[in-house]
Amino acid sequence: MQLICISRGTFSGGKSLAQKLARNLDYECLSWEDLVDAANQEGIQVGKLEMATVNPAVFSRRLVLEKEQFLAFATSYMCSRLMESPGLVYHGRAGHHKLAGVSHILRVRVLADYEQRINMIMQERRLDRQKAARYISAVDEDRKRWAYSMYGVSLEDPANYDMIVNLAGMNTENAASALVSTARLPDFQMTPADVNTLKNLDLAARTRLTLAKDERTHGASVKVRADKGVVTVTYLPQDAAMAEFIPAVCAGLPGLKEVHATMAMTNILWIQEEFHPDSDLCDQMVEIATKWNAAVELIKLEPEDKAPAGGQQAVVEAAEPLDSEFQGYNGGIENDSGHTAEDDSPLRTTLDKLAREGRSGGGRVVYGGQRQLINAIDPATPYTLVVIGEIFSSSGHAAVLRATRDLRNFLGERFKAPVVTADELGSQYLFGKRDMIRAGACLAVTVVLFFLIFGNQEFVLAFLSQSGWFADAVEHSFPGATDWAPGLVVSAAVFLLIPVVAFCYGTVASSILKLIKME
Amino acid sequence: MELLLGRFIELDLATCLQVVMLGAVGGVLSGFVGSGGAFFMTPGMMNLGVPGVVAVASNITHKFGKAMMGSKKHGEYGNVDKRLALFMVATSFIGIRVAVMINSALFGNADGHGAGGTAASNLYISMIFILILFFVAISMLRDAMKSSKEGAGPSMKISAFISRLYLPPYIYFKVSNVKVSLWVILVCGLATGYLAGTIGVGGFIGVPAMIYIFGVPTAVAAGSELYLAMFMGAWGALSYAFEGFVDIRLAMLLYLGSLVGVYVGAYGVKVVNEVMIRMVTGLVILLCVLSRAVAVPMYLRQLGLISMDPAWDPYFNNISKAILFFAGISGLCIILYNVIKAYRQRRRIRSTLIEARAMQQTVSTTT
Repeated sequence: MQLICISRGTFSGGKSLAQKLARNLDYECLSWEDLVDAANQEGIQVGKLEMATVNPAVFSRRLVLEKEQFLAFATSYMCSRLMESPGLVYHGRAGHHKLAGVSHILRVRVLADYEQRINMIMQERRLDRQKAARYISAVDEDRKRWAYSMYGVSLEDPANYDMIVNLAGMNTENAASALVSTARLPDFQMTPADVNTLKNLDLAARTRLTLAKDERTHGASVKVRADKGVVTVTYLPQDAAMAEFIPAVCAGLPGLKEVHATMAMTNILWIQEEFHPDSDLCDQMVEIATKWNAAVELIKLEPEDKAPAGGQQAVVEAAEPLDSEFQGYNGGIENDSGHTAEDDSPLRTTLDKLAREGRSGGGRVVYGGQRQLINAIDPATPYTLVVIGEIFSSSGHAAVLRATRDLRNFLGERFKAPVVTADELGSQYLFGKRDMIRAGACLAVTVVLFFLIFGNQEFVLAFLSQSGWFADAVEHSFPGATDWAPGLVVSAAVFLLIPVVAFCYGTVASSILKLIKME
Repeated sequence: MELLLGRFIELDLATCLQVVMLGAVGGVLSGFVGSGGAFFMTPGMMNLGVPGVVAVASNITHKFGKAMMGSKKHGEYGNVDKRLALFMVATSFIGIRVAVMINSALFGNADGHGAGGTAASNLYISMIFILILFFVAISMLRDAMKSSKEGAGPSMKISAFISRLYLPPYIYFKVSNVKVSLWVILVCGLATGYLAGTIGVGGFIGVPAMIYIFGVPTAVAAGSELYLAMFMGAWGALSYAFEGFVDIRLAMLLYLGSLVGVYVGAYGVKVVNEVMIRMVTGLVILLCVLSRAVAVPMYLRQLGLISMDPAWDPYFNNISKAILFFAGISGLCIILYNVIKAYRQRRRIRSTLIEARAMQQTVSTTT
């Protein structure tokens, strides 16, 4: 099984290259246009979605649901087409991003000579040169916006591709031949782990579509993850009434073994090499997740050489479910009763602990480094916090520190959410001794400032209004500058004092709210 | 002290508590709406006898520190488009400067710093307040009613219209992922600055402009506006302090309420649905507008534009104050009701979990 994704600009020759490549390899060819037709037949209004993403617009709830449905449909459609055939060549927008976590996809970006593109449009559309140029720029811009809006990626970033083919200096036939040779390299053959990931993505996407189609749950905004038949559905508090129907709606889906429904406002990503359910860090994660109403997603990051399929590059593997029985709805509270001890790995037991607290967002194992990790994380999932626990522990203390720092910087550049290490988690998000000392110090400064200002009101008001003692003092010290000097001094004093008051009292207020767990 | 009372009010314990309460209600509302709060605090201070220009000056000074704390938090979550905010800063400074000059001139021109000057600036501030916030409230209520019927988001008519106009040069903002005409940004910056400087509610123009005109995502719009508000607040505070209108005592008392209130309001957003947020905010603003409108005859009389018995002034002021406090407190109650409900619901879920776990442990021990 092989997947080749060709990303192309309008009139760049990518379509004919993809068709030739598919013919040469005897693979199926799937275009963006085919995908859109299929989605439209399913009742998804792709045109409306496109208009909303390419024009400056606010996504209404209805459009958000439409977007979720389309993303699920695109993933499911690509998975099913891929699994039915020996190989698939997809040409169109953001192909490989539809299958987040699947490695060994050959990702190609096709470029063409600008003049050539303009000439083709002028001939085909009978447009003048200026209109053709404007057409290219408008369509390319729209596609860029679409990819960013739907998958949070930049189409023009070369890091998103394995190869960039420039058709300005190569004809389509030769480019296709070059790609055939590349496609035969072992780096671009799917591994059994990729197939597992593909099945997980397919099951999650089908579950999402099933929920969208059923009238009892169609209005719920949910995130779905699947791990070897175990499906985790996270829903927002305002959809709690619809959540009770989730298990019934999903029942009977091929490949579904178990369904967990977790109410969550947001997601926290926890990356670590080894999870311990009894550790302080785990307790802190539960506390923060409960406070924020968040689901915690676990990623066990293992070194590449520990990958099970001997010498493979990146593989992403789901944690084994504990039981294969379908469990009924439990009101958003996951229950581990009835689990048989098929897998008592620390990852599984940590997931169990989170599930008992109703905070589980699923878990996976990723073998490799930063690149494999990024490949495994769905960029469309909005994380509120990323926590990095101990990683690469076998490499020694200095190496662990370096690896943690590097990973933190790497993830910090890619995520909007704060990325913190395990050591920083408690001090930043939970009320501790350091918070108490800081709050105490800030409270003392605040009290002193209030005492000074309110205890000397007459003095302060004369200063602020630049009259009385202050006017006399200025006139005495700077007789030639009475027009501007008082104003300048008062401005500077206000400018310096206000941030101090705001910071000190703000720290006290936020510490108190942190203490009563109401952030 | 008495020489200063034409500009600054005397603060006894009751007045101090009222200012703290204004800050608390304004803070909750600002956390709930995502911007502003001044729409409640500025007229509230005016009802306490603070001259309009001092109320605006103290409010913009208070906004400086609050925005500094808020934008730091938003920045941690990647919700600040610094580039967009900085493009708006230049013209917003011009807007603020114009506002400060007009306010200072009105306050100082009538008869020095006496009642006439105060009335002129109060009337001017109230009229701008009524005009702008009436439009904002009606738009919010219309949107909320439309959304409750159709489940759609805010109207995108303005955005669609602006996007049809071709006004080069266009600037691309990566964080917001939008491309906006430089001229549109400059005009919006100017308007935001002018309103922030005049009535202290720049956020009511800045945030909708970013959402409806630029097409910026809502969270980024709120974060970027706070970042912009930090600069506008600093510039406004400097400008008004230079003119001698900042009452630092009021700014400090406002902090006491607002920095706690803003967290409660932000928590409320998580548990109240979007239509209700717009409906509550729209109604509160509309009542604030009504409260200001009730005070207008008093200022007209003080300026000698209408003939009215001066003994009626306290009645107008008290009715205006009552409407404002009713608006703020009822809005606050709705938000707090939902916050407490959500808090209790969370505790109930936790206790259900503990019971379920205890039962489970009992079963496993028995077997």
